[in-house]
Amino acid sequence: MSGAVDGPLHGIKILDLTHVWAGPLSVRFLADLGAQVVKVEAPYGRGPRVYPMAPIGGWLGGEPGTEPWNVNAIFNKLHRNRRSLCLDLKQTHGRETLLALVGIADVLIENFSADAMSRMGLGYDVLKLANPQLIYVTMPGFGSTGPYRDRVAFGPTVEPMSGLSCMLGYGPGEPRNSAMALMDPIGATHGAAAVVTALRQRESEGGGAYVELSLHEGGVAFSGPWLIERQMGGNPMSTGNRHPHMAPHGVYPCAGDDQWVALACENDDQWEALCAVVETLERDMTLPLRRQNEDEIDARIAAWTAPRAKQNVADHLQNAGVPAGAVNAAPDMLADAQVRERNFFVAYERFATPMPGNPIHMAGLDPGQWSPCPALGEHNDEVLSQWLGYDVDRIHALRATGVLLDEPPD
Amino acid sequence: MERVLEIGGVAAGYCGRIFVRAGADVVRVEAGMRDPAWVSDTAMDVYLHAGKRSVGQMSAPLLQELAAAADVVVCEASNADAIDALGFDGWSTPLKLAITPFGRTGPKRNWQASANVILAMGGYTQLMGDPGRAPLSLPGHYVEFQTATLGYMALNACQLDGQNNTIDLAMLESLMALSQFTTVRWHCVSEVRSRHGSDFWFVVPSNLFACSDGWVYINVVPNFWDPFTVFINRPELLMDPRFADNDLRMQHRDALHAITAAALADLSKQELVARAEECRIPLGVVQSFDDVLADPHLAARDFFEQVQDSEGVTWRSPGLPFQINRESRRSRTVQARATRSGGIW
Repeated sequence: MSGAVDGPLHGIKILDLTHVWAGPLSVRFLADLGAQVVKVEAPYGRGPRVYPMAPIGGWLGGEPGTEPWNVNAIFNKLHRNRRSLCLDLKQTHGRETLLALVGIADVLIENFSADAMSRMGLGYDVLKLANPQLIYVTMPGFGSTGPYRDRVAFGPTVEPMSGLSCMLGYGPGEPRNSAMALMDPIGATHGAAAVVTALRQRESEGGGAYVELSLHEGGVAFSGPWLIERQMGGNPMSTGNRHPHMAPHGVYPCAGDDQWVALACENDDQWEALCAVVETLERDMTLPLRRQNEDEIDARIAAWTAPRAKQNVADHLQNAGVPAGAVNAAPDMLADAQVRERNFFVAYERFATPMPGNPIHMAGLDPGQWSPCPALGEHNDEVLSQWLGYDVDRIHALRATGVLLDEPPD
Repeated sequence: MERVLEIGGVAAGYCGRIFVRAGADVVRVEAGMRDPAWVSDTAMDVYLHAGKRSVGQMSAPLLQELAAAADVVVCEASNADAIDALGFDGWSTPLKLAITPFGRTGPKRNWQASANVILAMGGYTQLMGDPGRAPLSLPGHYVEFQTATLGYMALNACQLDGQNNTIDLAMLESLMALSQFTTVRWHCVSEVRSRHGSDFWFVVPSNLFACSDGWVYINVVPNFWDPFTVFINRPELLMDPRFADNDLRMQHRDALHAITAAALADLSKQELVARAEECRIPLGVVQSFDDVLADPHLAARDFFEQVQDSEGVTWRSPGLPFQINRESRRSRTVQARATRSGGIW
């Protein structure tokens, strides 16, 4: 079937019922590794015909055009290498069609709220009957059990419950939220890890699997070292940009408006290298001494960086053996010589929109094969005929009854 | 049992951590001085290395011998040359993962990096912190853990396919692959994202608010506006033309934040959580580490593992974020380091 690319997951059939960020990103990683992914989309899954507001990432090409639901830049970023099947699961024939697909799929992945699939009559008990070998992955924000299971969960509201907000900030008692919904990409990577783990388990032990991933637990897992340190009597707290075991470790102003460079000294060798560049620093300072004098050290470094361009500072320090990098904004990221040399951003999407690539570099993967995000329902006929063997009349009947769509209803 | 050889720092350690929980036999080579972590070595051992065997630094021939006996090698080093210096390319292991800050090719392949450098170059630091103040670097090991998880995924995909392969994985690219919408917004809207404190910015109100005994985060995406007015006991706001849609709420952000702050200031976290559950509002309480350790939800889900350190003391360590077939979290032990490679495999 078209859509899949070469890769180690070639031949693995995934039904993608995910939405927003964590789920689609998780599936993108699997699609990049060759899985055959069918995005099973609700008629309004990409929004209505007329958008009430511009999407956060904007429109591909800058304008909504006549089919705004197909040019939402963030949605497109997350949905390469997939086929789109737009199916109304509220209708009996829609659910029957999904169950037929489940019968031949390897994986179904969704990130609805805890009971949503069961309420549609598509809980794991039903799916398992259709295919006992199915890997079913569910990603509710707080999991499907426990006292918080029914809470509304978005990445930004789950984040403070992980403990991270107490560490992120300019100092103790001044918590901050990343405002980047970091719980979602944590869920995404671990969702993909869970799928391959379950597939390997199926290969060795047989049988399908029920896989559950909680965004909340992803965040708490990443706070794990602090949670253990706390049990051991430590008291981890926010120290701004400083680090408990490195000094200096910070972000320093550079020439221009809101331009900065980050640097760190992990050891005495790097400190000495920094001292060779920033001559106002005193070479004979061990880590404990540097930590005691961080205010003064930071001031001297800032005095040196302030009149200089951030990329020049980073180059200069790196050449001297000091870990340093410019605080990049979007244009800097796209222009970075390293990511350009490695072809990380890929312009396979419409309007030559550069999209983040796949960090996995290995033989057998070729971004040149990637296909852009499909239009809503673009592969309705292809999926139903190739995966299920439906004939033209049967597909037509589904379309005529509104089960199968290729645009949001009026 | 699958044999995994782990060499390197926090990223390799986290990758090995997942392999342990997937049932692999993981042997960790302590490659010398450790990367500075956010916590003590003991805490890091409990978190990362429980359930692994550990050997000390070894000569290149011994390392090659050990690698030859492994099914998978996870090798993290400070840069591309450091990977080469270990003899990585000469190891006959069928499946090998090299983790470096910038990858094994390209003009910056031998740049040095700590996590705050990667976060800066990857576009994250620019977006965190308050406007008019220095940007904030993300504390902790997000960069290493995320890179490791992607590496684990790729290795297992190859195992599933029976492939022999060598993977080049860069922390910088891993971070950029996970980016929210920084670059697409620049390309499609010609707007460079900046930082706005804790304000999610594009939907209003979405911010941290003080309450009587702490802080809560509220994220009112447009569908939640109506119940939100009930949540703050201000249903008349539904008729207020300043807040009729999200664009207008963005225009009147300060006014709406002030109304919200006033509505929440005298209520406790517990009261707000109860109200949020009743009104179906996305709300999260800022939890201290003590709060997280005592969280009844995590306890009910049996999320923490029992891990014994090398002194025999038991600690609670988070399980993996995913569970397969609701398998119980197991107890694990941090093993003392062996001194020789002989007899490992």
